Amino acid sequence: MALLEARELSKSFGALTAVNAVNLRIEPGTLHSIIGPNGAGKTTLFNLLTGQFAPSAGRILFDGRDITGTRAHRIAHLGLARSFQRTNVFPAFTLLDNVWVAAFACSRSWRGLLWRRTESYAGVSAQARQALNDVGLIAKQSELAREISHGEQRQLELAIALAAAPRVLLLDEPAAGLSPEETRRMVALVRALKGRYTIVLIEHKMDIIMSVSDRISVMHFGSLIAEGTPAEIQRNPEVRRAYLGGMAA
Amino acid sequence: MNLLFGQILNGIATGMLYALMGLGLALITGILNIPNFAHGALFAVGAYLLVTVVGAIGNFWLGLLVAPLGVALLGIAIEYAGIRRLYAAGHDYQLLFTFGLALILNELIIVIWGPVGISHLPPAVLRGGVDLGFTFYPKYRLFVMAVAGLLVVLTWLFLERTRYGAIMRAGIENKEMVSLLGIDIHRLFTVAFALGAYLAGIAGALTAPIRGLSPGMGVDMLGIAFVVVALGGLGNLLGAIAAGLLIGVAQAVVAAYWTEASTAVIFAVMAAVLLVRPQGLFGIR
Amino acid sequence: MKQPLVLVLAAVVLLPLVVRHAIATEIWIFAIFGLGLNLLLGYTGLLSFGQATFFGSAAYVAGYLLKYYGIGIFTALGVGIGVGALSALVVGYLCVQRAGLYFIMLTFALNQLFYFIAYQWTSVTGGEDGMPGIPRPALLGIDFRQPLAYYVLVSALFLLSLWAMQRIVESPLGKILQAIRENEVRAEALGYNVPRFKLLAFVIGGAFSGFAGVLYAMLFGIVPLEAIGFVFSGNVVFATLIGGSGSLYGPIIGSLVFIWLSESVSVLWARWPLLLGVAFVIVVLFFRGGVVEAWSRIWRFSKRAS
Repeated sequence: MALLEARELSKSFGALTAVNAVNLRIEPGTLHSIIGPNGAGKTTLFNLLTGQFAPSAGRILFDGRDITGTRAHRIAHLGLARSFQRTNVFPAFTLLDNVWVAAFACSRSWRGLLWRRTESYAGVSAQARQALNDVGLIAKQSELAREISHGEQRQLELAIALAAAPRVLLLDEPAAGLSPEETRRMVALVRALKGRYTIVLIEHKMDIIMSVSDRISVMHFGSLIAEGTPAEIQRNPEVRRAYLGGMAA
Repeated sequence: MNLLFGQILNGIATGMLYALMGLGLALITGILNIPNFAHGALFAVGAYLLVTVVGAIGNFWLGLLVAPLGVALLGIAIEYAGIRRLYAAGHDYQLLFTFGLALILNELIIVIWGPVGISHLPPAVLRGGVDLGFTFYPKYRLFVMAVAGLLVVLTWLFLERTRYGAIMRAGIENKEMVSLLGIDIHRLFTVAFALGAYLAGIAGALTAPIRGLSPGMGVDMLGIAFVVVALGGLGNLLGAIAAGLLIGVAQAVVAAYWTEASTAVIFAVMAAVLLVRPQGLFGIR
Repeated sequence: MKQPLVLVLAAVVLLPLVVRHAIATEIWIFAIFGLGLNLLLGYTGLLSFGQATFFGSAAYVAGYLLKYYGIGIFTALGVGIGVGALSALVVGYLCVQRAGLYFIMLTFALNQLFYFIAYQWTSVTGGEDGMPGIPRPALLGIDFRQPLAYYVLVSALFLLSLWAMQRIVESPLGKILQAIRENEVRAEALGYNVPRFKLLAFVIGGAFSGFAGVLYAMLFGIVPLEAIGFVFSGNVVFATLIGGSGSLYGPIIGSLVFIWLSESVSVLWARWPLLLGVAFVIVVLFFRGGVVEAWSRIWRFSKRAS
């Protein structure tokens, strides 16, 4: 049974249809990529899945339960975590604090919310450090988020999503703006996460997509135009037509 | 019953003035992204300038023409000398600047014109009343309704039918886009402030013969202008009118039965509406 | 980290030797008021322009009970905290649902509502004349009508408030509020119900404000109408601005500077709001980070120079 499912999911802003009757089935433990040209509606789809917008039509199911219309702040508690395309961290916080607030949100208990020192939450702090460790930033935990490099901020972006110990990771272009070397490291990171999490990945860079994905969905002008394994997608003539210039033949 | 109708008419007259205030504030706040805490003071300056000009020249019509222009000039000076300089510092500082300015202006009014309230008669031609059938209604208030209505229509025409008006409306929606289109964003700010100040000034000038003047009038009006914007929404001309009329009429009707509570009613109506519709009368969440 | 605390303790001990007991007391009361505002302004990023609503409401209610029902000091303080928190709950509920600009305007407008109610309800509040005759009940045999005794009480309560606020800002709530300030969208995506947390900050700020309000009423023996007015709301914003909203201790410095300024100037000239306005404009144009930041800038500059 699919862990995360979208059924005929649509979103219109006035006359503009950003997402048009998209169907998506994410199997547990897999890495499912969503690709498509700019403006295809990929990020809007993510915004729908994470409750930032309410859909105009269609349903979202998580673990069999209908979660359509669930508000953004409740989504995280269900076990879905998301990273953003444009770096969306807490600039004045240390790296550790960045992941700490993420880990605390989904922690078992909020007892002592007003009076316990943040250091005293052993479980939360351990989970936070683990997330930083997974992305390779543990050495910089005391530095401020606004003072690290762009590449490191993208890693932090990912760490924040990991810190909530989610079941599903929704990653929106984690390699955006990274150099080839940094991109290689990011891909290795994502690949290392593959077994432990169910991942939905939006990416532009074809080589990343082809090398890590179990399944690929292709979007164009808000609609789903193809879905299948990487090999199937590469052979698909419609995809080649829509996505000209982005594909390695 | 006649009393009630008369009060409703009064409410419409003051409601139109409230709408003008809300409109001016919405323009400034929508485009500059700061609540203009000096807006009430600009209203008061408009009233006091009118009285001064009429006192000096003896002509109400000239005063009605000149006073709002004076306030608009003051608005341009404020925007240029203060708000623009704080552009880099951020909205909070621009806001605090307008707050400090409000205090200064309100106090300067006391220093220049004294702490005692002044009453001011309408020009001779507008004194007395008109027989409306169910009541004998003051000419001046009908005049205010007409002028305020005219101003609202003119503002609407400007915003909806002129190119610069469209730019202003776009500026409320999305400033980055407007500056990307090559439009001088700083000039836009100045024009918005001048226009907003003008509307506040003329509202003040029109008010003088109705309510008289007092140094506290600026502060009272500031809160009311905030209420109109909170209820009507920032980009919404119709919203400002609806909100202004709603609270104007509510205030006037309550004043007939329970005078002391009439001003508090304005804020109570706001609280009640927001309780049911947090987004205001017309807003989207 | 201990150093600022030592300075504060030193200030508490030395202040009554430098200024009149009443002024020293007023400084710590205003500092408590500022701590409440700063939780909203500095930590959560919410500019509330109506804190006098909670300060004044608590002062009136507790003052009324003190005057006509002879309640004890700690009961009065409890009432102050309760009224401050409750009024903040009501006001906050309406305000946190709207974003930035509307929020600021609503805090001001609702402040006006409370002001007008206080102005008109002369039978209870005394209207323009205020509510005089607030007693300062004795406790455990200590007569707090003695200025020094009251100073000791207030400064002790101030230190307690400082400790409480420090615990709050170092707690998870403190982190969450700062996260909301830094990046509201992300905080929500992490799983925090942002309006509810803003409301919580509002209520806590209101509780501190109410606490300060009761102490104020007992200090001067009167609740003036101004205590619930917008100038008073502006005062505390200004004081926090001078002191610097970026730290826990900013409001303390702000209070020291502000009260000293207002006391020394108002003796000379009754047009205090004019001077406040001018001071606002000057600080905003030239001293943006407040005293704390100006001081640290000077500090860094001198280190580089040496």
